This record gives sequence, C-alpha cells and structure tokens, in this order.
Amino acid sequence: MSNFTTQLGHFLTVALGSLFLATGGSFAEDAGNLYNTNFDINAGLKYFERQCSRCHGFDAKGNDETGAPDLTGRLVRASSEVGIFNIIRTGIAGTAMLPVAADLPDTQVWQLVAYIGSLSTDPANIDLPGSVASGTSLFTNKADCNSCHMVDGQGGRLGPDLSRVGERRSPEELLSDMLNPHIDVAPRWWTMRVTDRDGAVREGLRMNEDSFSLRIMDEELNLWSYPKNQIASFERVEASTMPSYTQTLSDSEIDDLVAYLFSLRKEN
Amino acid sequence: MNKLTLLLCAIFLALPLQAQEEPFQTVITPAFSPVTWERLVNAESEPENWMMYSGTLDSQRYSRLNQINTDNVTELEMKWSYQIPVIDRAETVPTVVDGVMFITEAPSNLTAVDARTGRVYWRYDHELPEDLRICCGRNNRGVAILGETLFMSTLDAHLVAIDARTGNVLWDVEVADYEAGYSKTAAPLIVKDKVVTGIAGGEFGIRGFIDAYDPVTGELEWRTYAIPGPGEPGNDSWSGDSWKTGGAATWITGSYDPELNLIYWGTGNPGPDWNGDVRLGDNLYSDSALALNGDTGEIAWHFQFTPHDVHDYDSIQVPILADIEYQGSTRKVMMWANRNAFFYTIDRETGEFLEGEAYASQTWAQGLDPNGRPIRVPGMAPTYEGILVSPPIVGATNWYSPGYSQQTGLFYVTSFDGEQEFFKRDEEYEEGERFTGGGGRYNQPMDAFHSSIRAINPATAEIEWEFPIMPRSSAGITTTAGGIVFTGSADGYFFALDAASGEELWHISLGARVHAAPMTYAIDGQQFVTIASGNVVYTFGLKED
Repeated sequence: MSNFTTQLGHFLTVALGSLFLATGGSFAEDAGNLYNTNFDINAGLKYFERQCSRCHGFDAKGNDETGAPDLTGRLVRASSEVGIFNIIRTGIAGTAMLPVAADLPDTQVWQLVAYIGSLSTDPANIDLPGSVASGTSLFTNKADCNSCHMVDGQGGRLGPDLSRVGERRSPEELLSDMLNPHIDVAPRWWTMRVTDRDGAVREGLRMNEDSFSLRIMDEELNLWSYPKNQIASFERVEASTMPSYTQTLSDSEIDDLVAYLFSLRKEN
Repeated sequence: MNKLTLLLCAIFLALPLQAQEEPFQTVITPAFSPVTWERLVNAESEPENWMMYSGTLDSQRYSRLNQINTDNVTELEMKWSYQIPVIDRAETVPTVVDGVMFITEAPSNLTAVDARTGRVYWRYDHELPEDLRICCGRNNRGVAILGETLFMSTLDAHLVAIDARTGNVLWDVEVADYEAGYSKTAAPLIVKDKVVTGIAGGEFGIRGFIDAYDPVTGELEWRTYAIPGPGEPGNDSWSGDSWKTGGAATWITGSYDPELNLIYWGTGNPGPDWNGDVRLGDNLYSDSALALNGDTGEIAWHFQFTPHDVHDYDSIQVPILADIEYQGSTRKVMMWANRNAFFYTIDRETGEFLEGEAYASQTWAQGLDPNGRPIRVPGMAPTYEGILVSPPIVGATNWYSPGYSQQTGLFYVTSFDGEQEFFKRDEEYEEGERFTGGGGRYNQPMDAFHSSIRAINPATAEIEWEFPIMPRSSAGITTTAGGIVFTGSADGYFFALDAASGEELWHISLGARVHAAPMTYAIDGQQFVTIASGNVVYTFGLKED
C-alpha cells in the first residue's frame, strides 16, 4: 500500500473534524491531551495494532528481541503525555523507534497517546482490600519472600528483584503469581539441569542461554557458564522455583501481600 | 591466595557435593568470588583479574601476564566480540573478576558477561531523565568492585551500587544535581572501606569535589571540594565570587598509595574555560594534582600544573605511581603527562617537583621554573578575534590512560602536536547552562598535525622513542610483562608495540574509533586482551593448536 493510501486510511478512522487540525511534524510543549475519549482510545488502538505492534506486540508488552519496551507499565523514557507525544512524533535517536510519518495529524498522535495511557494502571485509581503495612511485615517474616527476592537492595538473589514490581504487574497478576507461580514464568527464572560427560549434575536458574552456551546461577549463588558442546546434556525446567502460597497464607494475608507488592514503585 | 579465598576453598572442600561436581572444572568459567580490599591492594599478584579501572591502585596499567609476548603477538586472533546495544562511542575499560567481565555501556548501563565467551549473564539499564546536561557525549568508563558489589557513575550524577551476581540495584544515591550541570562518567576507586568518586561538569560552572561513600549504605563519608571555600587557604586565588562557579571537575579516576595512605586525583579546568577575566588569580585547585588523606579526604598537598588556565588544559589524567631510581636513590614518584604538553615527575610523598619537560608541541609557556610552575609566553590568552595556540583545546593528551612498564621503566602516553585558534566570549553564569566563555577552531585539517605514542624516561623527562599515528589517537595504553604496549587509534586500529623500542609488532583494523584503554586478563592459564572500538568490545587471544 502506498504511503498516501496508508495515510488516507488513518484519516478515515478519526473524526472528520480532525482533518482541519492536521498539521504534521510539530513538537508538543503544552500539557494535556484533548483526545482522550473512548472513541479516541479506540482509534489509537487501531493505529497501534497496525503501525506499532510489529515491534511492541499486539498486547503492547514489548519484545526483548527487538528491544521494544513494554508500554503497559511505567514508561522509562517519558514521564508525561507530552513526553509520549514527542517520542511518537520524533522517535528516539539511535534506536529502532522511528518517528511516525511527518504528515500524520497531531490528532492521531494524541489518540495514540490516549491509547498508551489506557494501558497502564494508575495506582491512585485502585482501591485494594489488603494492608500495605501488614504485607510489608509478611514479606520479611511469615511469607519469607525476602529469602529469595530483593527489595531496595535487601533480600535474596534467587528470584526477581521486586523493588518496582508494582510498575509492571497488576494486582490481578500479582495474585496469580502467588497462587499459581508456575503459570507465566519468565525464561530468566526457569531452571537448567546440566549433566556433564561424567554424569555429574548441576542445577541453577537460567540466567541466559544461546545456541552454543548457557549460564546459570546455582543455589549457592555461584555463576556458571557452559559451552553446550562440552556437556552431555541439559534440560530446561520451565517451572518456577517459588512455592504456591495457597496453603500457607490466608486470603487476607495474600491480599496484604498484593497490596504491598503493588505499592512497590520508584517513587516509593 | 588471600585469606578469604582460602576460607572459601575450605568451605567448598568441606561440601561433599563439590567433590562430586569436580569434573565440571575443565569446561566452565571459574565461579566468581568476593573482592576484598586485600585483593585490590595486591591486584598486581593476581594478573588473571583486572579488578579496577587502571588495573592496580598505582594505575600503572602494567600486567604481569606474559603469555602474549613480543615473540608471538602476531598469533593473536579474535576470540569473541560483544556488541553494545545502545549506539554511542564506547569509552569503557571492562573489569574482570574470576572469569566474569563487567562492561559499562552508554549511556549509563552495565552488563556482566562470561569473560571466556562474551556471552551475557545479566544487564542493568539505568533510567535517566530526559533533560541531561552533558558536555561531551554519553560516556561511561568503568566500574569499581568491592566484595560482591559493583559501583558505577551515571550521567544524571548518581552513584549506583549493583549486585555483581544478579545486576540488582542495592542502592542509588544522588551525588549532585544534574539540573545544575553535574554529571558522572568515571569509574569510582575503592580506598579501603570507601568508594571514592569524582564529578564532571566543568563546562557548566559547577564546583568540583571528590567524595567518599560507604559501600554498604551509600552514605556520604566525606567530601573534599576542589575549590576552597571562604576562609580556606586558596579561596583568595579566585576574584570575587568566581570560586562558586569555578569548575575544577574531577572527572577521571585517581590512584592510591596504601603505604602513604594518600589518594591522588586530578582536577579539571577552571570555569569559564576560555575567559579568565571573570576569575582573576591562580584559581586553586583547578588543573592540579591533589593528594588526599585516604581516611578523611583532607588535602595533604597539591601541585597546580596550569595556574589561571585559559585554554581548557584539564589535569584529569590518571596519576601513575611508581618507585623509580632518581639521581642515585629510589624515589616514590607520581608521573604525569599533562594536557598542557608538559610531562612531570613529582615526589608523591611531598608534592615536590622533580623533573618536567614539554613532551609535545606547545607555544603557551617558555618552560617550567624550578618549582614546576609554567613561565608563560605573554599574549597567548584567548581573544575576541582569535589567537593561535598549541596545544589545542583537546590537549597534547587528554583523559586517555597513560601506561608504565616495570620492565622498561618507561612511561607511555598518547600525544598530539596540534594547534588551534582560541576565542574569548563574555557569558553570564546561568545554572544548568554551558559556561565556557569562548571556544576554538582548527585552521588546518587534522591530517596536517602530528600524533604519536611517546615513551618517556621519568628520571629525565626525556622522550626515548615515539611511534607515529595518523591522524591521531584518543586511546589509552596498557603494558605487559610480555614486553608489549597495547593501544589503538582514532581510525580504528588496535595494535601492539615493543615496549622497549617502540617497534610495531602487530595491528588489526577494528573499523571504528578506539576511544578506550585496553585491559588484559586470563582464564585457566589463557591470556586475553580486550579493547572497545566503536560500540563493540573485542577480545583477543593466541591461536590454539
């Protein structure tokens, strides 16, 4: 499809009035997005799926391979709607993030901003049943989360650092993580079971694996790097090393932990 | 082997599981073990590791490894390369501890890789604000390590402590306000139980300082300003309130002498760089070497290379410490090839000037007086119309690490014989804005100038040999017990010279500017040498049969 036809298609997805506002190539300096109705969010979604999902994914969760970041949590490179607008409009130099077409109307960029804004959860709008204070105590005492997880530099190293987990996981996801830790385990936290040519076995968390080598951290926190052609075999265990808390914590305690974990953000 | 390593070995040997796993030892990278202060003091005796920016506390960049030597260096081949994902210009010197390499990346990121293969263990991406104030590129030059913690400077003027095994952030403290023009690019230096670190921002009217932090908590232990405050000796070397915006940034890593308990650190240009009218006086301690007490940060002595500098001749070179034979006796000296084109040998116990000569082209001084103070040529200060002066703003050398060989007793420096027109401008200080008071321009192409690697005898300040570079180099230097000087050039070569004669031994084109210093290490008895070029970290070793 020609660029012109593509652009024409974009125009048809937005209100007719936006045609009169079309002045591509600008740079936003004033605050605020006037295009944030459900209609606008939906228009932004359509544009996103067509133009942005190639790198960022249909769910906007990002892609490690392309380096496209997850857009559903706290954004690293933009702290305001204007910042998001400017990145979409001008791209990010030195990265694969290109600017949108120079003649794309500002209106549509703002609709994209509205859509991206709709992906993240504003903690101020969420009222959780649990107690952050109780969750804090559970984390280091009864639930013993800190034996494996670090928060602000304190805690173990056999699980993900949770210092800012509230920015990337919703309360529902956090709840699922605790009750069903084996669902949706990031490859970084799989276990690798390596057997050498003499039959000796070593297990560790899968820090990295490529075509010819793999790297793990064992329970003693030792780092090991193996060339694959010098070991007998290896096995991926795509389960979490974390236990489910279904049996060990009450519903209210789990609520407390969810409240605490969801509160863990940079500003805290 | 130090006590901790022995203890760890004893613990491991006591574990029955470890004996069962012994067969792995032939195929894996050795496990990383904590870096104690004792290990850092004795870094020279474990040359298989490169545990700090300059290799050892004396910053000689001399490695005892000799597997790669003058006889076989032509057998070097690339073992692996690592591509830095954020495109910029790498200035990093990787650190290697027990087979794990830590690579800092632009803008302020850090990656741990297997030093045998270059494959990643973990990476840390530092989040930066959108409105950074940086003068000269998005650089980071390396980390310091103590225990199991890495310490890294960031462009938003923070100091970050990172767990060496996982990349987790342990603490993150603001050293200074980036919005006022402060930034950080240099590797910190561990001094006993403290993390010592400097600050950048000399083009933004900052007030430079050297800090020491608690490695566990990140708390500031002491701060020594590179510009004395009111009532302190030296404050009267600044007219009016000019000391408040006088620069003297401390943007390159210093050195430390454990016996004297003195930290040596260079300071940058006074601000504004090229207009000295608004800061009359010597402008202490800009363009100086500072010797600080290792416990308190108190200034023991200072040596100012360029009083009242108006040409941006930062003295941020890495100080090299060595004990040399000088006029019939052994002297503890500090060697310094300055951006101002003079080489200095200084007694590092007292700060006494011993030797000094120009090692590169210069037109601004008639020479040095008996105390090492420059005798200025009148009328060489920048003007509104422009005046031609050598060396140019970039200097006869700059921040690129020099080297020293214990085999030859020679000091090696990347040098540039150039000149430039210097201009003066009137500027008002405005917080967070550039405050330089002028600038410069070249009247000739770079190819018209002469560049070289020069070997200097520190006892006489005489040049022993030079190796010409075309057009120029901004690479650091590393020397080895294999009799080699490793360095690179701006046109993308990495090469080896004979440390004794300066003869070329080997070179390879890496295709992009070498803007960093090499380092060397070993795993299981195999020596490697690593250099960053463009956005790639390359590692070489001898061909295997």
